[in-house]
Amino acid sequence: MNPSLKLLTVVAIAFEISFTQVLTVNVVLIAVSLILLLVNRVKLKTLLWLTGVPLFLASALVWSLALRGDASSHFLWVIFTRMFVYVYLGATFTQTTQPLALTRSLEQNAKLPAKFAYGFLAAFNLLPKIKAEVATIHAAALMRGQVLHFWSPQLYFKVILAAMNWSDQLTAAMLSHGFVEGAPRTYAVRIPLRARDWWFCGLSLLVVQLGLFTGLP
Amino acid sequence: MQRWHIRDIILVTILAIFMGVIFWAVGPLYAILAAALAPAGLQPLANELLLGIWVMAGPLAGFVIRIPGAATLGEFLGAAVEMFLGGTWGAATLISGAVQGIGSELGFAFTGYKHYNWLTLTLSALTTTLVTFLWDYFRSGYNAYHLGFLLVLLVVRFISVFIFGGVLTHLITNLLTRAHVLPAVSKR
Repeated sequence: MNPSLKLLTVVAIAFEISFTQVLTVNVVLIAVSLILLLVNRVKLKTLLWLTGVPLFLASALVWSLALRGDASSHFLWVIFTRMFVYVYLGATFTQTTQPLALTRSLEQNAKLPAKFAYGFLAAFNLLPKIKAEVATIHAAALMRGQVLHFWSPQLYFKVILAAMNWSDQLTAAMLSHGFVEGAPRTYAVRIPLRARDWWFCGLSLLVVQLGLFTGLP
Repeated sequence: MQRWHIRDIILVTILAIFMGVIFWAVGPLYAILAAALAPAGLQPLANELLLGIWVMAGPLAGFVIRIPGAATLGEFLGAAVEMFLGGTWGAATLISGAVQGIGSELGFAFTGYKHYNWLTLTLSALTTTLVTFLWDYFRSGYNAYHLGFLLVLLVVRFISVFIFGGVLTHLITNLLTRAHVLPAVSKR
């Protein structure tokens, strides 16, 4: 499915169930998402992780709500299942979509300006370097007998200087390769936006609306 | 009003990734805190205590890159990075990221993007707290809490956001100003 439309569908549903309290819809969404995940051959380890974390957080939240609030048991179940909907539904997107495909789709289908698409991509590909830089900053400080914590301003100071430096260099690199902001571009890889993507998005949203607003428990 | 150029876009993204990487390390702390508080029914307090750390990318980006939308983009991209790094919440992270980003953006918007000082950061901390709390009020079922506990959560959240998004961000930007990487903070 087209990545932009897929993202739109998932985010729209997650947003809607945040403000509605229909248990049936939550349970159906969990089931559908699980089936989609299994069809896409998600790893067992990932699935266990995706189940364990919300199980703990949702139980703790519901326990807290029961102890310190006056919620009905229906409401508690809605909150409990809601956490799982977020995680499983969110995973149907993240487990099936590559960042590169999403960025390309956002540029071609969702008309995101090319400077944003390529700016994001350029920075995102620095991820391994960024991880290494944080480790280097920590190590360099340790050699001078300084321990940098996540609350140390110096850590962020150095990080921001590195970010500024790299963004200058990346920009220079992109400009010297002929990148011009706002100039018309051709695409090496086309991300198709088919009629069936629209149908899938529209029908999913329609079914969710039917579930949410026809008085189901 | 300043517009977005490729350098700013790359800078805000790199900054968001950096923050994401640093805060990835806070994950275990959250897990321990949440597990310790859970039996007493206080697990949401763990969120409130640490929320300031997660929403720091917003004010920092807004302060360093002084273009409207920088705080929102910084926070939102941080969420996108977390999503692709394998955060548990998947695409749902994006909603929280957008909510937090808009929350901290409002603080800068209220000053017309003209003043960059402690007042701006305090204002941003306040709007972040209110907007994200409203979101949790619906999303996490906070509306079922007794009023007293709800107020405790709200106050703890503000303190956390103020310490990290306000005080710590102020200390960082002071260092940057002294190093002449940022324009001098406007005096009040």
